[in-house]
Amino acid sequence: MNLYEFEGKHFFEKYGIAIPKGKTITRFHDPKKVYTELGITNVVVKAQVLSGKRGKNNAIRFCSNADEVAEAVVDLFSMNIRGQYVVAIRIEEKLDIAEEHYLLITYNTNKKQPMLVYCSEGGVDIEDVSGQKIFKQLLYIRNERIPLVGKERIIEVGNQKNQASSVLPFEGGGLDDVVQKLWSCFLNEDCRLAEINPLVYTTDGKWIAVDAKVAIDDDAFFRHEKWKELEPRTMLGRPATDREIEVQEIDKGEKYYQGTAGKYIEMDGDIALILNGGGASIANMDVLNNLGLKPANYTEYSGNPPREKVYELVKIVLSKPGIRGLWMCGAVANFTNVKETFGGVVDALDEIKPTYPIVVRRAGPHDKEGMALLKACGERNQLNMKLFGKDVSMGETAKVLADMIQSTKEKS
Amino acid sequence: MSILIDENTKVLVQGITGKEGQNATIAMMEYGTNVVGGVRPGKAGDVVEGKPVFNTVKDAVSTISDITTTTIYVPPFVAKDAMLEAIEAGITQINILTERIPIKDTAYCLAAAKDTGACIIGPSSLGYINPGVCRIGVIGGLKIQADDIFTPGSIGIISRSGGMTNEVSWQIRKAGMGQSAAVHVGGDLLMGTTYADLLRLFEKDDQTNAVIIFGEYGGSYEFEIVDLIENNEYTKPLVIYVGGKFATTLPEGMNIGHAGAIVERGKGAVEKEAALSSVGVHIAEDYEQLAELVKPFA
Repeated sequence: MNLYEFEGKHFFEKYGIAIPKGKTITRFHDPKKVYTELGITNVVVKAQVLSGKRGKNNAIRFCSNADEVAEAVVDLFSMNIRGQYVVAIRIEEKLDIAEEHYLLITYNTNKKQPMLVYCSEGGVDIEDVSGQKIFKQLLYIRNERIPLVGKERIIEVGNQKNQASSVLPFEGGGLDDVVQKLWSCFLNEDCRLAEINPLVYTTDGKWIAVDAKVAIDDDAFFRHEKWKELEPRTMLGRPATDREIEVQEIDKGEKYYQGTAGKYIEMDGDIALILNGGGASIANMDVLNNLGLKPANYTEYSGNPPREKVYELVKIVLSKPGIRGLWMCGAVANFTNVKETFGGVVDALDEIKPTYPIVVRRAGPHDKEGMALLKACGERNQLNMKLFGKDVSMGETAKVLADMIQSTKEKS
Repeated sequence: MSILIDENTKVLVQGITGKEGQNATIAMMEYGTNVVGGVRPGKAGDVVEGKPVFNTVKDAVSTISDITTTTIYVPPFVAKDAMLEAIEAGITQINILTERIPIKDTAYCLAAAKDTGACIIGPSSLGYINPGVCRIGVIGGLKIQADDIFTPGSIGIISRSGGMTNEVSWQIRKAGMGQSAAVHVGGDLLMGTTYADLLRLFEKDDQTNAVIIFGEYGGSYEFEIVDLIENNEYTKPLVIYVGGKFATTLPEGMNIGHAGAIVERGKGAVEKEAALSSVGVHIAEDYEQLAELVKPFA
């Protein structure tokens, strides 16, 4: 999950990284009152969105009185920034900046280790900085402190591996301290990414994190009680829909890891999708795209979810208005019990009794029994449904659905 | 010949007393895998499918000689302990099915495995199969289904997706070919054993004439293949499908499908295909084309 700047800053604060004095407001707060309470004349007013490049998109304003702040807040809340909905606004002190630096810790997937990235030229897009100026150092996950001094460290400068010939300006100074604190934050908060850009060095000699970009690892939620307080979100430039929030509930609770049935992203199209497996589902999204069909949602369940989870999921997927067809498609399963999961599908179809075309393609353990359940359900509810096993490829069944939708259209 | 395992490989099942662990034990034994026992803390002395249960991996390896391989079926919050226990006991090949393991735990275990030279296949891996010989985990499903899909042959298969491991293998079988081995590497952000690691093994395997990869957008493991081919470390024909072209329409940072499939500019399906194509890898437009493209090399 990606965090908003204000949430990331709370993380930083917890680990002793200084942040500018400030307050976060939502649409329910009175900006003038908050500004007055803050008691700082020159402030920065920043829209909170899950996207970078705010400076370039006029999402950061500088103000020096209550009226200016109020005006900026109204304007920012009315904006959509690079497709992102503005959930909150942060008002904070404007600093006297001497230098702007860049600091990042994230996973290097190829090396399978975290990596520190540092550049003395921060405040801009790191992609715009010449590779020669960027320091990279792999971090050992079992070290609680980064050994920044000494010969054992490996620094990659501009992707060229060097023994510690180039010396980072860390030793002894306050920057070393910030790096260690960010590392503690990264490890203890199960971050997948923690970036400070810019990390400001003020004219009075303080290091302050002026921005925060933090992504946490959703799968570590079981050891972070606090994460429950984070609001649901989507990156699709709008608040999470009711259905998206509802589906997230499915995979919560004690048996959260028993099968995954909590994935739902609402989309603009009219073909409801219940796909199976992370890999097959994205391949089938490609198939659908190539046929010119528009998904109403992206959904997949996988592993071995119990009947109840699948029932909940199907009900929510089919509750979206305007659906013209349903494609339930999965590869040849390894250990998903098709009878059990289709039991959940049948429970939902018995309730909803859709009138639009339905195409099902699935194989795997106990698929004969599962298909028999679906067939009986189709007959008793007079569903317009076709069932396929592994002898017909997944792609071909998408074409079958397209044809069924076409002929339904012609009839009406 | 075969990669990773053969009929003599002695295999342990961690989490053998749970439902999925027990199913995996049955699946392996009925396919000819030499399962020698299992582990479940506090359940020493129990017997599952005729195999002894031990409290720890250490107890198992000190009682039964030459156990090289373990497959792990435990919940995510104890997965790190299970992997570390296996590494410390000197197990050299660790398959792990568990999904949703925190990245930090995986990174920690991979670092520990590096120290001892152990290889971890997974996390989120349903296992691997040498058709007609044996398998680790439940790849292929029930034996009757596995027999339908897998038959010994010359095509190596590597997949990020468990379902697609079967689906692609089935397309190969339907097209009149067989598989030398099929490996589900798992869909996590950090992959214990990568495409490149496996291609090195397939390169040395006499039975394998060509390899198919089902890849995905996000991450950069596909780019390692480019280096491998440029360095002549892999010289056999390779056919790949990279899923998720539709994802170019999604915002950066968004994740659909497996945990490792995160939209990152420059790491999408299109960029990966271009890089691979430049070193002679055959690119399938859709996954149903994989069998057709590999057929001339079988």
